[in-house]
Amino acid sequence: MNLNINAQKAQTYDAIVVGSGMTGGWAAKELTEKGLNVLVLERGYEIKHVEDYKTAMQDPWEFEHRGKITTVAAEEHYASMFFSAKEGSQFNFTNDKEHPYIQKRPFNWIRGYHTGGKSLIWGKHTYRWNREDFLANTKEGIGIDWPIRYEELVPWYTYIEKFVGISGQAEGLAVLPDSTFLPPMAMTAPEVHFKKSVAQKLNRPITIGRVAHLTKPQPWHTAVGRASCQFRNRCTRGCPYGGYFSSLAATLPAARSTNRLTILHNAIVKEIILDDHDQKAKGVRVIDQNTMEVREFYAKVLFLNAGTIGSTSILMNSKSARFPNGLGNDSDQLGRNLMDHHLAVGARADIEGFEDDYYFGARPGSLYIPRFRNWGNDKKRDYLRGFGYQGGAARADWSRGSTEPGFGADFKKRLTQPGPWKMSLTGFGEVLPDPNNRFYLSPDKTDKWGLPQVVFDADFSANDRAMRKDIMNDGAEMLEAAGFKNVTTYDNPAAHMGLGIHEMGTARMGKDPKTSVLNKYNQVHTCKNVFVTDGSAMASASNVNPSLTYMALTARAASYAVAQLKAKNL
Amino acid sequence: MNRREALSRVSLMLGGTLSAPTLLAFDRWNQMTPESRVNSPSILNEEQREIMARVAERIIPKTDTPGAIDVGVPAFIELMLREGYTKPVQDTFLTGLGDLAGKGFLTASADQQTTLLKQVEAQTLANAKAGSVSFWQLIKELTVWGYFTSEAGIKSSFDYQPIPGKFEAIKIRPGQKDFMYGNQV
Ligand SMILES: Cc1cc2nc3c(=O)[nH]c(=O)nc-3n(C[C@H](O)[C@H](O)[C@H](O)COP(=O)(O)OP(=O)(O)OC[C@H]3O[C@@H](n4cnc5c(N)ncnc54)[C@H](O)[C@@H]3O)c2cc1C
Ligand code: SF4
Repeated sequence: MNLNINAQKAQTYDAIVVGSGMTGGWAAKELTEKGLNVLVLERGYEIKHVEDYKTAMQDPWEFEHRGKITTVAAEEHYASMFFSAKEGSQFNFTNDKEHPYIQKRPFNWIRGYHTGGKSLIWGKHTYRWNREDFLANTKEGIGIDWPIRYEELVPWYTYIEKFVGISGQAEGLAVLPDSTFLPPMAMTAPEVHFKKSVAQKLNRPITIGRVAHLTKPQPWHTAVGRASCQFRNRCTRGCPYGGYFSSLAATLPAARSTNRLTILHNAIVKEIILDDHDQKAKGVRVIDQNTMEVREFYAKVLFLNAGTIGSTSILMNSKSARFPNGLGNDSDQLGRNLMDHHLAVGARADIEGFEDDYYFGARPGSLYIPRFRNWGNDKKRDYLRGFGYQGGAARADWSRGSTEPGFGADFKKRLTQPGPWKMSLTGFGEVLPDPNNRFYLSPDKTDKWGLPQVVFDADFSANDRAMRKDIMNDGAEMLEAAGFKNVTTYDNPAAHMGLGIHEMGTARMGKDPKTSVLNKYNQVHTCKNVFVTDGSAMASASNVNPSLTYMALTARAASYAVAQLKAKNL
Repeated sequence: MNRREALSRVSLMLGGTLSAPTLLAFDRWNQMTPESRVNSPSILNEEQREIMARVAERIIPKTDTPGAIDVGVPAFIELMLREGYTKPVQDTFLTGLGDLAGKGFLTASADQQTTLLKQVEAQTLANAKAGSVSFWQLIKELTVWGYFTSEAGIKSSFDYQPIPGKFEAIKIRPGQKDFMYGNQV
């Protein structure tokens, strides 16, 4: 009896955070810094910052396949093929063969099961949502209203941005509110020309991409061991300098320095254990991914940060007499309203001139063109919401030789010279929430650990497809305004959900427990000591990259949770 | 849509980062059994190997800097053929080598070899179909890739800057070599 009590005590923490990625890192940092003893449970293997970035310093000739992907790797990483089709980074992307899922309609689920999650492989574009993003649903009668407004997030955005370190240019635009910035990265000469032409002829502002790279580290960055970005653009191999923001480089070290952090790896959280007496969560049940051993851990408060699909799956899997359809699922909204951004559509051009303009260094990041459609004085389109672009101009390198005609001594010589300038623009468009775009757990197919496989059943809507036309045409129009040559547009009709790598919305927040899963503090309406602060919570998708908003929501929820704990409300 | 189709579409729509031959390499799901890729012996015989090396050297010849053979491109091509491509693609490659053998490529003079390869290139361009793969595309892509990622190829061709430390717009100086950062891999 005593033994049991002791064992239970040893497995009891003030808070449990599920997942060590972008949002889990923030939950760990905020909760430990506010005095809680925190257990982070991470399903993947351990990666140690710097020492485990095995390929980060490798030269091209040190890779057996010179970076090309083998047929075996291609099969194992098929969902993230575009993003991971590199020998130096494939291990930072989850192996789909070992972690299968079902596509009732096509969906690519791109993941990173290891310390730091997708914060090790993200593109680092970091934008605030704007005021309208939180109002659009209610104005247009789409989905449900957000229970919060932009103004409530402002202090949290500011707080996060300072610690993250975001390089960018303040522009004073309502459509793309400024963050707290480190110095912006440079634009190349054709990009400067492009920006000017588009401003003059089309009155659309263009800014340099706002990316989470340290262009001028501040004392609080160096305090956790981060240094300036070295402009190598090898980020997906892991950055030994901590040049870009990841939970490995930034939030987890901060949490660790409090001495109140415990991280357990290879710990797959299977379900939440509900206390039948008071309808609160008392802990989680965990499967060791290697030994299959099942263990339980207990805490007063749980933070789910397993990524949108991961966190929502845990809720779905947590069935009890009170919650036969999954924890907090009285509204039947769990798994519904799955959103992403639609991409793979845009325009390209060749650029003549600028022959003596060149650049030194490999810039991680690109230009950013903020939304201009259905905004301000723009006349109403035949679709709702809008899109932005990422893209830029760069000189072609030697790899153009694979497709350019010719061979021999001249050909060889030519490839050692900087190639022509080219520019491309890719649109990121807003996807609307739709309850029929969803995922659910398979009733019969399980994975190696006996957990039900995820079934994706979602697709772009007529609204999305209409928007794609403007993305192409407007992209081409801007390239033409700059006088660039051979302008072509592209839109792949087979582009599908998941490739936007911004999955969100499957446990949305809202005012009414009848139509939403979480309240305005990311708290499960009907199980108050469970917080879900990743992309699951989103009630709409905006058209800008989402991670900054997830982080802001996480810090806000952590602060609220600690206050509620202190007030003995949890 | 099967996985391969999905993949090639992804690549095409994201700007054609991967060439058609590389994409076709992904087409293994039906054709390749696990056994066929483990320890598969070399797929080229001596003559084919010799032709492949000579063609690679014609594409990137030795000049005042090393050529394809100097930097080990033939071995790279063979490795990639074995581990990066499916049986049908391998067969296309072998057929291409066979055609050259039939035309007496090995015994031809340097000039004749060049003429022959110009014909092959012209034919390839004339017959190019979206999504198809040809011997010439394959050997050219693998040669260029193998050469410009080799240590000697990089160091003799480029101003290699593994850790530039900054990003700056500059003006090109006369005779300036291209910068290379090692981030293609
Ligand atoms: C290639 C790529 C580029 C991207 N670029 C951008 C960008 O430019 N800007 C932007 O804003 N966003 C970008 N994103 C999206 C961004 O990475 C995600 O929004 C962000 O990482 C989400 O944070 P998260 O904490 O929800 O999930 P993650 O960072 O994925 O972390 C989830 C963690 O939970 C763990 N986990 C999952 N299930 C369990 C379980 N059952 N038990 C225990 N642990 C579990 C996982 O192993 C993982 O470590 C990109 C994503 C990808 C893949
Ligand atoms: S570009 Fe910057 S952030 Fe990326 S790996 Fe290099 S130093 Fe690190």
